Amino acid sequence: MALRCLLLSVAVVFSSLTAAQDLPRTATGQPDLGGIWRVQNRAAVDLLAHAAAFERPAGMSVVAGGELPYQPWARAQQQQNFATRAQTDPFAHCYLPGVPRIMTLEFPFQIFQTAENVAMTFEWQQVFRLIHTNDTASLYEGIESWMGHSRGAWEGDELVVTVKDFNERSWLDGSGNFHSAAMVLTERFRMLDADTIAYTVTVDDPEVYTQPWTMSMNLYRQQELDRVLEYQCQAEKEEANGAFEPDVRNWYPAGIPGENVAFDATATSGLPLPQASAEIARLPDGTPDIGGYYMADAGGANYGLEKSAGGALMPPARGVVVDPADGVLPYQGWARAERNDRILPHRGYDDPTAHCFVAGIPRSHYVPSPFQIVQTPDHVVQLFERMSWRQIDLQRKEHLPEHMRLWQGDALGHWEGDTLVVDSRNYNGKAWLNEAGDVISHMATVRETYTPVSRDRLIYRATVTDPIAYTRPWTIEVPLDRLQDELLEVACLEDNNDLQHLRDVRDEFRAAQPTTAE
Amino acid sequence: MKLFSLITASALAAASLLPLDAFAHHSFSAEFDTNKPVQLTGTVTEMKWSNPHGWIYLDVKDASGIVTNWALETGAANSLIRRGWRKADLPAGTVLNVDGWQARNGSTTANIRSVTFEDGTRLFAGTSNQATPEVETGR
Repeated sequence: MALRCLLLSVAVVFSSLTAAQDLPRTATGQPDLGGIWRVQNRAAVDLLAHAAAFERPAGMSVVAGGELPYQPWARAQQQQNFATRAQTDPFAHCYLPGVPRIMTLEFPFQIFQTAENVAMTFEWQQVFRLIHTNDTASLYEGIESWMGHSRGAWEGDELVVTVKDFNERSWLDGSGNFHSAAMVLTERFRMLDADTIAYTVTVDDPEVYTQPWTMSMNLYRQQELDRVLEYQCQAEKEEANGAFEPDVRNWYPAGIPGENVAFDATATSGLPLPQASAEIARLPDGTPDIGGYYMADAGGANYGLEKSAGGALMPPARGVVVDPADGVLPYQGWARAERNDRILPHRGYDDPTAHCFVAGIPRSHYVPSPFQIVQTPDHVVQLFERMSWRQIDLQRKEHLPEHMRLWQGDALGHWEGDTLVVDSRNYNGKAWLNEAGDVISHMATVRETYTPVSRDRLIYRATVTDPIAYTRPWTIEVPLDRLQDELLEVACLEDNNDLQHLRDVRDEFRAAQPTTAE
Repeated sequence: MKLFSLITASALAAASLLPLDAFAHHSFSAEFDTNKPVQLTGTVTEMKWSNPHGWIYLDVKDASGIVTNWALETGAANSLIRRGWRKADLPAGTVLNVDGWQARNGSTTANIRSVTFEDGTRLFAGTSNQATPEVETGR
């Protein structure tokens, strides 16, 4: 018996040593958590052991000890939450799920790891997390948020993350288990082998619980996936219930209108790329280091790509179109008319960002809100403060199949000298280019260039080739400035009071229209 | 009179258009009506520090003593926070003077062009960086 125990111990030690040696590691020696992950449990339904019910598959507890140490009042609150969950569960409203709930969803997520931070991009509603691991304190201590503020550090081969500054609106699962704004989480990520992460979370919330408690689960590498796709919860819901109406001329799979003049794909003003600076920061492999927090010097592009004086409630636009040289977008006639219609008050409701949907490309750069670039050897990832992300894949060569259509498109990138060149397609055609209603269709292909012209400035250009809405390709140029700041959270949908007002304006307009005789 | 108000309002708005980071996720001109300028004085009941817009709720008493609660749209909470403003800076009970435009749907909702305390200093302006009136008004 003793011998058997000894052999077993040796086997365990040997096995963990082997595993530790086999772990993928970053250039700086930490285990590389990079990849696509997902749990294989039912913690999203209930953290505790639960039998099955309709649309609630059974599962075992992920909580140590199998029970949650609620304060008496809080247990009653959880029971009320459970009873009213169809209405009161924030998840049912597509709100931000909070941490740790986002980690337990059946939707996969991808991790991108650098020396400065660990980014997580989730399929669900394009939520992201940015865990700063650069030994800095939060600039915004105490500002409440759905997803909390995450700071991490490596303790040997384990990533330990403290998450705090929560609001009290998110739940921990689909059974009404909850927390207060006082909650502080300690997450631990430890790779068991190349394809498994042991993930534990200690929940410390003295307002709701009598003592800290811990949940544990494994995250499994999703070998069959090479990227995380989009599930835009609220957009899908509003399309399904008719609150967001399709535009048959722009949305996939619209064809080229018969009235269009021929598209001249070769027309170009031949603008040379900006000159990259010799002073820029570089990664160890020599590529420009463009990671960091950015804000566009957008010049009002969100209120018009062409130059415009603006009005009392519409800011001016300096004009960002650099090709054609006259700064005028080469619209097809119907698309110019559509643009002029979209700026009328009853069309304000139709702008997807008024619904808090994703801004699309290139608009996400100049919405205007800041964004973060996280750069690994394989990817450049953009985390947009309005809670969406885009992955630019530097390795993959083939775009998604023709019928796979995304809000942010499918972006493949490569370096040409010191300029990052990104080719995107597979758009769904649902985005607007700005509040003024500049048009872009699903057929658009977008070539973007990011050229570092100084240590902290990129010149961003986007060339749009869209034979549905335009007569020739056109290009905009917007500088992007790297600043010393960090992302906050925009929980847009959660407090969007404006949409009903815009809908009222639209409905009033429609009611005043003469009905068409049959 | 109406024409004068419109011209004045437009000129003031144009003068206050500065950095755009606080501006909207939706068209202000679609939601609010420049033909419906409003001037309000009232008491703050709450401020929601939300994104992409914060909201100040203001109890406004009319000549007959009837109190109406107005919802006043500000810039994004994130923009205010980045300029150093915090929740405690606008407690319930604060008296404010507000100048803005009412929503087209006729609700007691307005987009605010300027907000001042009783002593005339501007709310959300004059941070440690610089005066940024566009932050208070959301543009």
